[in-house]
Order: sequence, then structure tokens, then C-alpha cells
Amino acid sequence: MNYRDFCTGVLFFLLGIGTVWYGKDFYDDSAYIPVSVGVLMSLFALGLMLRSLMNSQLIQMRLMDHPAKFIATLTSCIGYFVLLPVAGFYTSSTLFIVTLALLIGERRPVVILSITLVFITALYLLFALVLKRSLPVEFFLAV
Amino acid sequence: MFDAMLHAFGVIMAPASMLSMLVGTLAGILIGALPGLNPVMAIALMLPLTYSFDPLIALGLIAGIYNGSMYGGAIPAILLKIPGTPSAIATTFDGYPMTRKGMGGLALKTACWSSAVGGTVSAIALMTLAPPLAQMTLAFGPTEYFWVAVFGLTSIAVLVGGDLFKGMLAALLGILIGLVGVDTLSGEERFTFDNLYLIGGFPLMVVLIGLYAVPPILEMAEKQNSAHYDPANFRTHKSSKALQLIRDYWRTWSKSSIIGVCVGILPGAGGNLAALLSYNEAKRNAKEPESFGQGNPVGVAAAECGNSADNASSMIPALTLGIPGNLIAALVLGALMIHGLQPGPRLFTDSADIVFGFIWQLLLTSLLLFVLGGMLATRLFAQVLRLPSTLLVPTTLVLMSIGVYTINGNTTDLYVMLGFGLIGYLLNRMDFPLAPIVLGVLLGPMAESNFRLSMLISQNDWTLFFTRPISQGIIALLLIVLGSQALKYYRRKCGG
Repeated sequence: MNYRDFCTGVLFFLLGIGTVWYGKDFYDDSAYIPVSVGVLMSLFALGLMLRSLMNSQLIQMRLMDHPAKFIATLTSCIGYFVLLPVAGFYTSSTLFIVTLALLIGERRPVVILSITLVFITALYLLFALVLKRSLPVEFFLAV
Repeated sequence: MFDAMLHAFGVIMAPASMLSMLVGTLAGILIGALPGLNPVMAIALMLPLTYSFDPLIALGLIAGIYNGSMYGGAIPAILLKIPGTPSAIATTFDGYPMTRKGMGGLALKTACWSSAVGGTVSAIALMTLAPPLAQMTLAFGPTEYFWVAVFGLTSIAVLVGGDLFKGMLAALLGILIGLVGVDTLSGEERFTFDNLYLIGGFPLMVVLIGLYAVPPILEMAEKQNSAHYDPANFRTHKSSKALQLIRDYWRTWSKSSIIGVCVGILPGAGGNLAALLSYNEAKRNAKEPESFGQGNPVGVAAAECGNSADNASSMIPALTLGIPGNLIAALVLGALMIHGLQPGPRLFTDSADIVFGFIWQLLLTSLLLFVLGGMLATRLFAQVLRLPSTLLVPTTLVLMSIGVYTINGNTTDLYVMLGFGLIGYLLNRMDFPLAPIVLGVLLGPMAESNFRLSMLISQNDWTLFFTRPISQGIIALLLIVLGSQALKYYRRKCGG
């Protein structure tokens, strides 16, 4: 049995059923496509589930190669997005680059700091001076 | 049409447009040279930054990145046996053995010239084939467009990845994502769950960046950091004169260009297939086929010419019908829509300067490779392989975030991007193709609006979809694609 495909099939089947259930109440012809998509999704998901049940090989799920680094990257991203409107673009980006580089295994402080400095300066030149885009203001400049 | 083409040439020779092509090509070579980064991701990242630009500047950047990255992918393929882009896999077969023999310089020069020739032929094919095809499609009505959208979506779902169930589920997921928001025909809110953010639907660029740019970065973050670049492998003392190269490879270039152009027009095929078919054809016709895989430069020429000849020709169905044959074509359609242009036959008459200008840009950026892909530039670009992935991951994530944030100035878009990135990553791990999702987002609304318009015109008479001759032709093509896949499945089953 292919567990990976079976579980995905179940998820898609539920999504298809949910789409039909929710879409059937749409007004007149705006329901055609949502309902059709839901029905087709459920049918193809059933096909995937049946095929995975008939598979004689045992295949189990392995979603990531290195969970610690994966979770560190995701958590850092969320932290960065939370910090962005509060601390400002350049401050939060600098903190994000340094933190994530350390978390995923970079151990040369000079390399981290020099590349971060060059990168942030290049971003400032491009976005603030050339493109003149408004980005979240730095906390120390906010009134 | 010829006058419009000439006029567009004058427009793209403006300094800003020339600069965008130059920057795009250099950036493309750089991105292609970095394993893990790909042209789709680069173009998706760059699009939000070009909102305020003139469309031809944005398209010049895209043309440069597309053509540049096809050659850039050959640099690590030849020097390190790591294909910089999926299309460069066939380049490793003979490119790396050449480097081991001390012929890295010749391999890189062969790759550069072959990419340039392939890209040029492809752009000429686009220039000559697209306008008459666009004229033909003026006869299409809503029913034909409905079938065209269904054909594009189904064929890509079936052909990409080779798994019918997963391909179709991915395409349906894409259509579902595209349905979120206010229905433009009835004004009804669909799948918004009373959420203000969802009323306008998911922004196309946020979905694209999330699905295509985030997953490779998450994968890169997981892998152990390794030093990629070994200068000892990069010996460039052997090289050939230009005329010698042309004499040696013109037959290979001719065949590979034709193969690449034909593959490019087919939906769902791609540069990788074009390169492999060209390589096999060159090997089949060689006097010493056993020398292939041992460092035969003809192998590099065939693979690189084939994968680049696929580039511009993949735009033929995209620009004439609004049906993207691959992801880059989908992004080009996205770029045109961002700038208020509607892909399809009217594009060639209503916005001739832009569409012909883009075709010229594809041609010129291919020719730029002859200049920019020389040995000095190649040596410089090979240095990017020294960049540690531990710093490439956070810096690329910052670039993505800034790109997404500048679309609407809304931090919610960042979380949505990360959400789609996570979906893309998980689906990737479960062997689901991502291309049908994006095409579903793009083609789903097109199929729906044309379907409903047809039903309105015919006063709910379903037979209209099956009685018009052009529709019947498209249905026949659709049945051929589905039938060929069913036959392939049956043969595989019978063969055990």
C-alpha cells in the first residue's frame, strides 16, 4: 500500500466533497464550475486512493529531509513577517538573514556579516534610491 | 504585419529597453549558474518589481532571464556535473567528461554558441508562425475558447509528470484557487468565508511566487551546505575559433533547433525533453555513437541548442491563444495581464508594438549570448558557485518578501505566499506536478467565462459545444492526447 498517495487522496476527496457542498448554494450558473470541479476532484481522488490500495509495495510518507532546518526556516519566516511592520524593512531583514544563516548551519561570522551588509546596502540603493518604493519604515525613524 | 514588426524594432531599441535586456541576460546567466535557483523562480520574483515599468522593459528583463538562464544552467552542468536548471541535464552527459579531460573551455564555448543559435532560430520561428496563427484564431468564438482552455489544461495535466490522477488533481486545485473571490459575471462571493482579504481572490503573483519560488528555497535550506566550486576543474586553455565551431556543429544545430522548436509548441513538453531528444538524435546519427557520454562536444552542442530552441517557440500558443505551454509562458501571460493587456489574437493588432517588441527582445537576447557568454563572463559567473547556500536561502527569501510586499503593500500577502509555498513543497514531495496548478489558476477563469457566455448565447443549448467545426477539431485533438496517454498506460501495464 502506498500510504503517501492514499492520505493525499483522502485529503483531495474531502476537499472535493467540501467544494460541492459549499458550491451547490451559489446562485444559478455561478455554481456550474465549482460543483463540476468538486465532483471531478472527488472522482480523481477516489481513483488515486484505489490505486494506492492496490499497490503491492509498502511506501510510507517522508515529508522532509531535515525537519529541524525546515522548521527553523519556517519559524524564522513567520518571525520576520511579524517583525517587518514593527521594526522596519532594513532592520528586520538584517536580523532575519543573520538569524536564519546561523540556524541552518553557517558558522563564519565575517562571511555572514559582510554578505548581509553588501546585500542590505544593495537593496537600499535599489528600492529606496532607484525604484523609490515605500517599504515598512524603520522603528528608529517612525514618528 | 511587417510594418508593425519593423516599428516594434525601433521601439525596443530605446536605451531603457536595451538596458533591461542586458541586465536580464546577465541575471539569467547568473541564476541559471546557481543550482537550486531556476528561471521560473527568478521571473516570478522579478515581476512584482516591474509594475511601474513600461511593459517592454518588464518583458525585456523576462526575455533576458529566460534565454540567459538556459545557457547559465550549462555552467555547473559542465564544470561540476550539477545541472543548474532541469533543462541542462543532457548537457552533463558530455560536458562534465570534457571538463575532466581538460576541455572545459571548449565545452562552455560550445554550450554558449549552441544556446545562442537555438534561441535565435526559436525566436525566428515565433516571429514567422505566430502572426498567421493569430489571424486564424480571430475566427474563434466563446465555445472554441472554452475548448482551447480545456485542451490546454487537460493536456498539461496529463502530459506533465505522466500521472493522470495527480496531474488532474493538481489542475482542479488550480481552478479552485482561481474561483476564490467575487464572481465577475454574477457578483456573487465564492469561497470567501466572509473574509475581506479573499473577496478580491488570491493575487496571481503571490500564488506564483509561493508555489514556485518558495519550495526550492525550503529544499535548499534543508540540504547540508557544501562547497560547490573547485577551481582545479575549471581549465579553459583549449578553445576553438568561431568558424571552426560553425563548421563542426551546423548540422547538429540545424536538427536540434527544429526539434526544440517543435517540442516548444507542444503544451506540457519542455526544454528538458527538447534537449534529450536532440541529444539522442545527434547520437543516433553520429559516426562514433560510443564516443557520446565520454566527452563528445557534439553532445553538448545538441543538448544546449535543443533546450534553447524550445524557449521562444513555447510562446506561440501563449501569445496567439492565451494558452501557456509551460511555466515561463504562464508568467509572460501574467506579466501581460499585470500591464492591462489581454493575450490572444487581438494582442497582435491592439498592442502590436508590445507583442512584436517582445519577440524582437527574445531574438536579441539570444544574440546577446554570443557577446555576454564569452569566456571572461563565464569565468566570472562560475564564481557564483562559491556562494554558500546558507546565505543564499535567507537573502532569496528577503527578495521574495520584498517582491510580494510591494504588490499591495499588505503583510497578509506574505503569509499567503508562505502558505502556498508550503502547499507547493508538500505537493512536490508527494510527486504532484505544480505546473497544472498555475495553469488551472490562469485558465480556469477563462474556461468558466467562455462556458457561461456560450450558454447565454445558445440559451442553454449544450449542443453548441459539439456542433461548430473548430470546436470539433479541438475536441479531436483532446481525444488524441487522452487516447495516446491511455495507450501508453495500457502498453506499460501489458509490459509488466
